[in-house]
Amino acid sequence: MTYTCASGVELLMEYLEGVLPAEVNAALEEHVAGCARCTAFVASYQATPRILRDATMAELPADIETSLQAFLRTHTRAFKKS
Amino acid sequence: MVVPEPTDETLAARAAAGDDSAFEAIVRRYQARVFRLASRLTSDADAPDVLQETFLHVYRHLSSFRGESQFGTWLYRIATNAALMHRRGTKRRAVESLDEYLPRFDADGVHAATPAELQVASHADELLDRKTLVERARDVIERLPDHYRDAFVLRDLEEMPTAAVAQALGIEPAAVRQRVHRARLMLRGYLSDLLGVKP
Repeated sequence: MTYTCASGVELLMEYLEGVLPAEVNAALEEHVAGCARCTAFVASYQATPRILRDATMAELPADIETSLQAFLRTHTRAFKKS
Repeated sequence: MVVPEPTDETLAARAAAGDDSAFEAIVRRYQARVFRLASRLTSDADAPDVLQETFLHVYRHLSSFRGESQFGTWLYRIATNAALMHRRGTKRRAVESLDEYLPRFDADGVHAATPAELQVASHADELLDRKTLVERARDVIERLPDHYRDAFVLRDLEEMPTAAVAQALGIEPAAVRQRVHRARLMLRGYLSDLLGVKP
């Protein structure tokens, strides 16, 4: 079986997770190896999670940590008494 | 001599037996991760509430932790549920279609964009200034339809295994892969668009 860019893109996640049959993997790899567009597309598809993970790496603010401690002190005490 | 840190399971057992210092150690160990997860699934404004709800729930249910899964997995599932429940109770802005960012193909199924255009999104973190990228990333993830957002956040941002995401969301692994795939296509196209090229 031969793949186009469009049909290959549809299988990309399953390919990367290793859940496709070996013959499908081989046909996809053959297409991508000979297709500069798909090679570039796959690189950006794989980079997207890393870029967004780094961009959404929220730090816990010190004041929120302090209020969490106060909240838990109050509510765990109440829970013990109940 | 270096004293090894107690395992999560040891701390959980001690906390369940009434040792408050063990519970405090659990909170210190997980609070940053839970906050990050909550801010990704809800918002920075809602994350503190989710953080509180998560650890209070953990405290109240420590005795029901049976060690069938790792303690971290159990706690993470509680945090995920707390975030999703919290989001259900808050008014969200309308979800917008992100289909315009999906890749385009010609009649023969060939990418419409050139190789140079297709690779641009790979360098979004180098080409955009940090502040813009952080703001836009949060904004576009919030615009994703919930079912795509949840799968993408857990699988790709929190880096949970697909099987664990499937369990947390109550769906099949194949559905997780399909949702993450659609989200990635949209987000990749969005990054391309931010940089002024076709998806």
